[in-house]
Amino acid sequence: MSNASSSPRHPQGDEVSGRGRILVVDDGITMRLYYRSVLEAAGFEVEEATNGVEGYEKALASAFDLMIVDINMPKMDGYAMLRAIRTDPALCAVPAVTISTEASERDAQQALRAGANFYLVKPVGSKELTEVALMVAGRSPR
Amino acid sequence: MKNAQLLARFIGEARDLLQGTSSGLLQLDRGPGDEAALNEVFRGFHTLKGSVGLFDFPAFTKLVHAGEDILTAVRSQDLVLTSDLVDRLLDALDQVSSWVDHLERSGEMPGDADGVSREMTAALRVCLPDPPAGGGDAPAPASRSSVLCVDAPWLATFAPEEREAALSGATASGSALIAFDYLPAEDCFFFGEDPFALVTGLPGLQCLSVTPVASWPAIGTLDPYRCHLRFRGLVLGPSDAVETAFRYVPDQVAMAPVPPGFLGGEATGEGAAPTVEPWAPMARRILGQQREVLAFALEEDGRAARIESVIRTVSGLLATGGHAARSRLWAERTSAASADAAAMTELLDDWLAADGAAAAAPPASGEAVPERAPDRSRPGQADGASQDLKPANRVLKVDQAKVDTLMALIGELVVSKNSLPFLARRAEDIYGSRDMSREIKDLYGVIDRLAQEMQGAIMAVRMLPVSEVFDRLPRLVRDLARRLDKRISLRIEGGDTAADKNMIEVLGDPLIHVIRNAIDHGIETPDLREQAGKPPEAVVRVAAFQENDQVVIEVSDDGRGIDPAKIREKAVAKGILDAERAARLTDQDAINLIFYPGFSTAPEVSDLSGRGVGMDIVVTTVEAAGGTVSVTSETGLGTRVRLSLPLSMAVTRVMLVEVGDTPYGIPMDHIVETVRVRRGAVRHIKQAEAFVLRQSIVPLVRLDRVLDLPDRRVADDPDHEEAVLVVRVAGSLLGLVVDHFREGMDIILKPLDGILSSVRGFAGTALLGDGRVLLVLNLKELL
Repeated sequence: MSNASSSPRHPQGDEVSGRGRILVVDDGITMRLYYRSVLEAAGFEVEEATNGVEGYEKALASAFDLMIVDINMPKMDGYAMLRAIRTDPALCAVPAVTISTEASERDAQQALRAGANFYLVKPVGSKELTEVALMVAGRSPR
Repeated sequence: MKNAQLLARFIGEARDLLQGTSSGLLQLDRGPGDEAALNEVFRGFHTLKGSVGLFDFPAFTKLVHAGEDILTAVRSQDLVLTSDLVDRLLDALDQVSSWVDHLERSGEMPGDADGVSREMTAALRVCLPDPPAGGGDAPAPASRSSVLCVDAPWLATFAPEEREAALSGATASGSALIAFDYLPAEDCFFFGEDPFALVTGLPGLQCLSVTPVASWPAIGTLDPYRCHLRFRGLVLGPSDAVETAFRYVPDQVAMAPVPPGFLGGEATGEGAAPTVEPWAPMARRILGQQREVLAFALEEDGRAARIESVIRTVSGLLATGGHAARSRLWAERTSAASADAAAMTELLDDWLAADGAAAAAPPASGEAVPERAPDRSRPGQADGASQDLKPANRVLKVDQAKVDTLMALIGELVVSKNSLPFLARRAEDIYGSRDMSREIKDLYGVIDRLAQEMQGAIMAVRMLPVSEVFDRLPRLVRDLARRLDKRISLRIEGGDTAADKNMIEVLGDPLIHVIRNAIDHGIETPDLREQAGKPPEAVVRVAAFQENDQVVIEVSDDGRGIDPAKIREKAVAKGILDAERAARLTDQDAINLIFYPGFSTAPEVSDLSGRGVGMDIVVTTVEAAGGTVSVTSETGLGTRVRLSLPLSMAVTRVMLVEVGDTPYGIPMDHIVETVRVRRGAVRHIKQAEAFVLRQSIVPLVRLDRVLDLPDRRVADDPDHEEAVLVVRVAGSLLGLVVDHFREGMDIILKPLDGILSSVRGFAGTALLGDGRVLLVLNLKELL
């Protein structure tokens, strides 16, 4: 959106060091390349994880401004990963967007219940993806 | 976004997925209860569907979608995965695989893809227990079951005066205004549905918008028996009354109440909160969902993290500009040590209402959201799962052509390096500098070592596991077994044995041919096996291992074996040799006759293994790559075929010999030893010559005669020593008389091509360090 992309910085001029870091958790190599290229074009730093377990470990290992999480993944699916993250004593409160091909209300509710903050339905256009990323992780909070 | 790059990545991913998914299917076919395999297969289709969605290949998407639906039904135990269904899914994967090939070649789907996809999709969907109306054929723009998000653009479907009328209607009647979006299934008429009558008959309909789902096709191609329309409208509640009206098509309708004030706010402009920035539609969706997250936070574990994640989401959103006042308020409200979910929800509600907009709709149907068992997600479990996660290998995918170029360059380097010893000799012989010669030799030693290491490194890059080929086998064996009504268990061993990529490519066809032969001719039907006292299920074993510089692939079966008597009979009948000679053959030699061109032991040529190609093709292919084939068999017990291939065929080691002042190369793997034989020790047997080497008689062949070189005088001195290269050709020893032995060297063998390609007897040429061309002999053809 225009107001989002035109002034992505904090109005009060916090110390801003580029745009945020985003963790992309998806088992599809094509999807990961797609997310990475769209998000990097928008100025984000992107880290990838290929399944829920890896995503879980990476999410707890370093700081991110946003996680983009696929639902259906090997080893640990997106729901389980989000639940694990949210209930971990290390407390991971990074905003999470799930992106899944399942479009039903039930799936959406399940994602939010598991610990997502937002969900999108595949395929997500690059405009939409950039917009969401800018809105939630447009600049590093704090 | 670089589309070509994305497509290339997709093609690679699709191939991997197709491989994994088909082997998963085969596993399922054998053990239908295998949940891990089922999940893998499901995920294969699922990921393919997700990835292909990035491109505009509707035929592709529909087919994998149908496959995914089948597996969803199997997972939910609504459908039993029969062998027939596995066949259909495998067919679908084959089709997808051919599309992927086509995409790689041309970047586009083939012209017939739509038709093929429709047929195969239908073939899959008929298997679904209760085919969903619409069958996934509906165009992508609106998935009917998606949540309807009532926002300004959506409401702009209706004219302002219509909206005002709806609003006044709602205010007058005091009922809620419900927005609905009804996308009838294309084939709804066949189910007796009448979308237009249904919609116009809605009680309390206020506004209605009817639009085509996609742009109208030409009138000639328009199918009047399909519904092409989408209905959107506003209707007066209560919502359960509207739901009742749509009760037969719940999956085609999305509904959401329009919150009070929404339409009014839209109609009168931003009167409610003129001083603040209006929310972008996406921001509104995000904020609306944060309210839901807050609600869940109170019910679920991990409350603190959930609330904190909301705080951060909203903070981030407010920081995107124009929301300074709200940002401060949010910070105040959430800075307290005990951030209060209720207070946050209230604030979010205020903002959304003040903006005159609705948040994302609450559940359309109002039914309880089924709980998902949360126990899998305990952190302890997660830790357990993380332990068996290997550290991710960092893998670089490189275009094959680049590796080939590198290989070719290293080949050139090896050749150039070989010219240093010549230079050293020249330094000594012509310029008389022995010191310089030694320095060059030292330098040569260094460069030689580096070149060899480099060569080794690049070879390692080109190494692929033989599983590249083996992965195709389970499918092949299964299909053949089903067609021939045989029961076969395939055992694969040593799939991780590595060999050069070229070898792997060479290996594919012969291996498949050998396995076909084994299944078609070797393995008996279950009843015949039982009569012979064998278990009805036959075993075909394919094993790979490394032996010296060779990769060996063994295919063995426990079938009926090859009967040497029958082979003899057949060979005589075919006129390959006469009865007397046939009788003299050892059993092993008789069995080896199957390699004879045109020989086939099956009484009739079956459509499987006999397409006019016999074992001779296998031998030709493997030998062209520098390998060997051997077969052993015991009647009634089984057959074993052994294919050996060199690990790599990029660099060939040859020994140089000199005949008539010309050097020739002889591949090192033929050479057994070099000996010097006194002329007097040479025995004459009729026209032929031979000598005795450690108690065995080795025939002698003069290379100059074989090569038709001009006759030279042979010294009669019985003490003259002949240089004899003992070689092994086709299993037997042979002495090759040459003028001089020279050094061994690594060369890059270039096959003879063009007008020379018909010249027999030469494996190819190589460039020598001094610029001369070396002819490398093909002893098998020559002798």
